[in-house]
Amino acid sequence: MQFAKDSFFLALQERLAGLNPARTITINGATVPAIVVVENLPPSFAEPQANAFYVEWGAASVAGGHAGNGALMSLECTISYYSFGTVASMVDRGRVLGQLDAELQEICQPANTEKRDYTQAPSADLGTKVFWSQPDFLEKSKSSVENQTDKQSDGRAEHQARLKIFFFSEVTLS
Amino acid sequence: MTFPLRAAMVPVTRQMRAYFAPVNRATEEPTVFDPGLSGTFPLDAPPAPWVDLGWIENFERWYDTPTDVVRSGARTLPAGQFRGPMEARVEFNFRQWGKLQMALAGGSEHMNVLAPAAGSTTPVPSGGTPAPGVAVLPGSTATELFFGAGVATGFSPGCLLAVDSDYQQQTGYVGSGIAAAYVSSATAVKQDPNYVRRVTFNVGRVAEVTTASVLLAQPLLGGAPPAGASAQMVVAFVDREGGSFFQEWSALFVAEEETGGRVCFYYPRLSPNPGVVAANSSGRFVREDFSAIEMPLTAISLRASFLALPHSDTNDGQTVLCYRSYFPAGMAAAY
Repeated sequence: MQFAKDSFFLALQERLAGLNPARTITINGATVPAIVVVENLPPSFAEPQANAFYVEWGAASVAGGHAGNGALMSLECTISYYSFGTVASMVDRGRVLGQLDAELQEICQPANTEKRDYTQAPSADLGTKVFWSQPDFLEKSKSSVENQTDKQSDGRAEHQARLKIFFFSEVTLS
Repeated sequence: MTFPLRAAMVPVTRQMRAYFAPVNRATEEPTVFDPGLSGTFPLDAPPAPWVDLGWIENFERWYDTPTDVVRSGARTLPAGQFRGPMEARVEFNFRQWGKLQMALAGGSEHMNVLAPAAGSTTPVPSGGTPAPGVAVLPGSTATELFFGAGVATGFSPGCLLAVDSDYQQQTGYVGSGIAAAYVSSATAVKQDPNYVRRVTFNVGRVAEVTTASVLLAQPLLGGAPPAGASAQMVVAFVDREGGSFFQEWSALFVAEEETGGRVCFYYPRLSPNPGVVAANSSGRFVREDFSAIEMPLTAISLRASFLALPHSDTNDGQTVLCYRSYFPAGMAAAY
């Protein structure tokens, strides 16, 4: 499952870097494309940064309707982001959020990528693909990002996109 | 080193894409899809002359090629079998409307409603007396039409044009590049010089107007206009329930590959035919459905249904109705 997670994330990260090279954030002094996986950050990490995509993984299950012993798995994914806009009055935060929506939609296309093993260098093609559903954009959520913003009520505009990724498990079912 | 993977043998698709190309009606020669030469094309850029007709819905293939058993001996045991009458159909819904999509869904002559002449008052359901055609000058191509200085500016960006020859009292298939109708006699079409442009597939939208020419947003399907062609503005398209002409096209359907393996269905010759498989309980009528977006919003789709016509495979002379090709994913096991 980790290979699928890594492949999905790195595909989106690479696409974001190509689509909007200026969309970056600084983490531990390193400037990277503004998409990160929450579970890869230290638990004590600071509040999510504005204008960046935060990927969180949810429930996984074996998808039905497939044949053979190579399990087709599904994994829920949530991508959260918010913006204060670009001016002090924050009146353009909706527009910036719309731009983030569009960028997320774009980097999700095509909705598949090779599944690769990134634990070795260079990475190895595992022979199958990771593919995913189109993202649904939600206004409110119960994610950690949302909970923090609810408390702050600081006027930010935020969205959460949910999608489901699919992949063939490396584990062979008996 | 590559290891064969059984998981990679499962083709997964999200949607089906349709491509059509003309059949030469005089010779009944289809457009050939060669999987080896052009099978792995990018879905947004099909090889010529295939025309991308967009994503389709409710794609269903039907076949009815029964086999019969040869029996022998006192106990009439099966000794072999043979194939009986062949029949195959394909059905789907076009989500995108256009000249070609409507013609294929309608199945018969598909009419371009030409802009009416000034003062024209006689109503005709498929378009009445049109404004006169504007002569297309030599040197025009499928994407640029020359009319001469001061003439081209009579058109404006955004307008639709039908470009083809005048009808010259001939009989047989008409429409340059692609047969758009069959004229049995000149009197049947009232010797109308505009008749070919009423049905032609050479329709394009003006993207830009220069001093002497217009540039089209998409190339004319039939290629460069023939000598002596004229252009007339089109205000709408009309198909009709009825008509004596049958469209006939080569078709290619490609399942968008999500897991790397591509599946293509190639029908050398498809002829529109509503068939009986989707008929209602009376077995007589076929119901057209709307696709609900969120009630009361619905998308209007074009239901298309075809009968596959036979083609002789040049490799072995076998008569076939359709081909299914499979391009395995990179590391998929061969069997």
